[in-house]
Amino acid sequence: MVAGPRNCSLTALVVDGDTTSNMIEQGLLRSFGVITCGVDNGRAAIDLFASGAKFDLILIDLILPVINGLETTRQIRAMGVKTKMLGVTACSREREEKAFLAAGVDEFIEKPLDSNRLASILMELNAN
Amino acid sequence: MDRNHPHRQLALMRQSFFDQGYLDEQFIQLEELQDDANPNFVEEVVTSYYRDSARLILNIEQALEKKPLDFNKLDGYMHQFKGSSSSIGAEKVKAECTQFREYCRAGNGEGCIRTFQQLKKEYTTLKKKLEAYFQLARQAGPSETACRPK
Repeated sequence: MVAGPRNCSLTALVVDGDTTSNMIEQGLLRSFGVITCGVDNGRAAIDLFASGAKFDLILIDLILPVINGLETTRQIRAMGVKTKMLGVTACSREREEKAFLAAGVDEFIEKPLDSNRLASILMELNAN
Repeated sequence: MDRNHPHRQLALMRQSFFDQGYLDEQFIQLEELQDDANPNFVEEVVTSYYRDSARLILNIEQALEKKPLDFNKLDGYMHQFKGSSSSIGAEKVKAECTQFREYCRAGNGEGCIRTFQQLKKEYTTLKKKLEAYFQLARQAGPSETACRPK
C-alpha cells in the first residue's frame, strides 16, 4: 500500500458518471482515510454545493451525464466554491486539459488514478 | 502447499491472467483496496464494470449500424469504455479500445467494425475467466497467506 496520510480527516466528493470508476476512486481515497461521497452526474454535484455541502477535495470527471464536467466545474466555481478540484479523464489531450483548467479545476489527472500522485495531493491538503 | 489446494489453484489462475496479458498492474491496485471492511471490493468493482459496460456495448453496436457512421459519437463511447476498462486493468480490452479509437480518427468504418468484434471477444473471455476466478475464491475461502506476488 502506498504511504499516505492514513490518519487524515479530509472529505472528498467524487463526481463520475461511470459507476466502476466512481467506486474505484472512492475506494482509493478511503484507503488514505478520506471520507468520501460520490455522485454520478453534474446536476447532483451542483445541487450538493447549492445545499451547502463542503468538501476538502473534488474529483470531477470530464464526461458526465445531465451536465458535463466542464459546465459543472464552471457552475461550482461560480457559486464561490474554492475547494481544490481535480479534473479527471480517461485520455489526456491538450485541448481537453486546457478547457478543464479554464473551467476552473486546479489540476488535471488521468484515469486510472496514480495512487502516489493522489497521496501527494492529500498530504498537501492535510498540511494546509 | 499441495498443488491442488484451492488457494494454490487460485494463485496460479491469478498469475495466468497477468502472464497472458488479460490483466495489468491496475488490477493489483484494486486488490490492494480490498480489506476486512471491503472484503469483496474487487468482485464488486468487476461486477459493476460488466453491468455498466454492457450498456455501452449496446450503444456502440447500435451506432455501428447507422449509416453514415458517426465517428465522433463512436469515439466518445469508446473513450468511456476505455476509461472503465483501464480502471479494472483489462489490458487486452483496453488495447482494442485504443485501436478502435484510432480507426475512428481515421474515419475507417471497416476497421472499427473489425476491431469491435475482437474487443467483444476479449471482453467476453475476460468475463468468463474472472467469473471462474471469483467462484474459486469463494470456494477457497479467505486466506491469511494469499500467494500474491508483488
